[in-house]
Amino acid sequence: MKCSDVERVLPELLDGAPDGAYQTEFENHLKSCPACSDLVSDMALISGESRQLAATDEPPARVWVRIAAELRAEGLIREPGSQPARPTLVPASTRPRWAPSAWWLAPVAAALFAAGSYVVSHKPAPQVAQQQAPAASQTPATSAPSVAPAIPEVANASPVARAAAKVAPASVPASPPLQVARKSAPPTVVGPASSADDQQFLREVSTRAPSMRATYESQLQAVNSDIRETQEYVDRNPGDADARQHLMDAYEQKALLYQIALDHIQ
Amino acid sequence: MASLPRASVRARIHQPGIQHTTVVTLLLATYLSSAAFAQTRKNYTFTVGPHANISVDTQVGGISVRPGASDQVLVTAILKSDNVEVDQQQMGNRIEIASHWLPGADDKTGQVDYELQIPPDATLNLRSPLGALSAERLQGDVTMEGADAVVNVRSIDNGHVHVRTMRGPITVTDVSNGHIELSSISGDIHLKSVSGPLVQASSGSGKIFYDGDFGSGGEYKFTTHKGDIEALVPADVSADFRAHSVLGRVHHDFPLQARHTRFSTEAGRSFFGTTGKAASEVELRSFSGRIRLKRR
Repeated sequence: MKCSDVERVLPELLDGAPDGAYQTEFENHLKSCPACSDLVSDMALISGESRQLAATDEPPARVWVRIAAELRAEGLIREPGSQPARPTLVPASTRPRWAPSAWWLAPVAAALFAAGSYVVSHKPAPQVAQQQAPAASQTPATSAPSVAPAIPEVANASPVARAAAKVAPASVPASPPLQVARKSAPPTVVGPASSADDQQFLREVSTRAPSMRATYESQLQAVNSDIRETQEYVDRNPGDADARQHLMDAYEQKALLYQIALDHIQ
Repeated sequence: MASLPRASVRARIHQPGIQHTTVVTLLLATYLSSAAFAQTRKNYTFTVGPHANISVDTQVGGISVRPGASDQVLVTAILKSDNVEVDQQQMGNRIEIASHWLPGADDKTGQVDYELQIPPDATLNLRSPLGALSAERLQGDVTMEGADAVVNVRSIDNGHVHVRTMRGPITVTDVSNGHIELSSISGDIHLKSVSGPLVQASSGSGKIFYDGDFGSGGEYKFTTHKGDIEALVPADVSADFRAHSVLGRVHHDFPLQARHTRFSTEAGRSFFGTTGKAASEVELRSFSGRIRLKRR
């Protein structure tokens, strides 16, 4: 029996239906293969522990919502409406948690959170990047190459972070190439308040909870103002770790606003 | 109309211009209108085992929860009109209550207020965008979510408390031995006699007030963007304090013993140090709000 064979029969064995024919081979292989032995013991532990989980230990529905939002943001699952035959990971509830026209709020909220994480997790611009900026700003034609490195950096980030970059492009200026690009390009910074997602957010609220539209709009403006204010400070003080943490906090606040709206306008 | 004297009303009805049919129509309309907005009470009883999981979800309306029998959940739903219905189901030890609007419902006619008596050890999930949420004298985990909801949590022991609101204020009183996570976008957060291994509160523009002793051995993190943070503690508090406001001012009236910190020490914007045996860690952070640590 090979390692691949062990992986193939492992689920059956864990389910408690060992076949005498390959049970002996299986056990012999485990004696000679530490990797498979570890795998089997781990799986057996997980399988055994999971059976002990009572129904009351299941996480609340909002946890599933968040997980689903992350998975959607990463493109791992799609909306049930787009593929009716495909099962959804969101458990059935007493009422629909995902309104057809508001599902997009969840990945946006997740993306906003990721944007904050991205901002905080990236170190301040190294000196060399700072030195390239003047040259780039003097010759717009050279700004394209200096922007180029930014693309792979974002591309190499997690899918959620890439989504975040789409949602709030101005929110990730802390990485060196983007900082160069900002300095070299005309002031076309798209502030959080003017993002298309915010506009769609307010349209949804207007349609589904018109009485709360003004409230959500004022809250959104306040959160965006906080993000802008902190972002500007971080730009001026890129080494201030605490300010960067506040920037992430501000993005978390915006993600929270989206999540509350998602719950409200369902 | 109700404030008019009877004679005046009678006189108007008997005016030649007002026909009997008009009066009947008005009375009928009034009756139908009152029927449509009739408030009804519905009671539900569920039998549960230990550590039941109870969720209540309403679009508009308050939810109040207090302890009851150890094996029963009593729910009283007060519906403001016939334009809203209550769905309830029990799946083993899990109970889900939710109100849903019928066509034509709005914030007024769609309101449902809930009053619950639950086993003290139950896990509780409440959600109401518009309405007051309150829970008291429980020992299980409590999760509350609301937009404009005013949230009150009192006397929770050994349970985790998670609350989030948009601009509704959050008040947590007499809570111990659990993880407490409170977040609001613009609502104020009040914590009185709250302690535990982890106590976190964050608000964007709202203020955070803490009145307590920071327990013994817990981790306390209070964060605002522009809201002020104020902590009122006894003189013999035992904690390791870290406070920093990026743009705001900080103040304390304790003789703190200095120590090393990763924060940049800027006079008037940060303070660090310990009192007593430094049993708990306390971190107070604001971007532009004022931070005050006051002796009780």
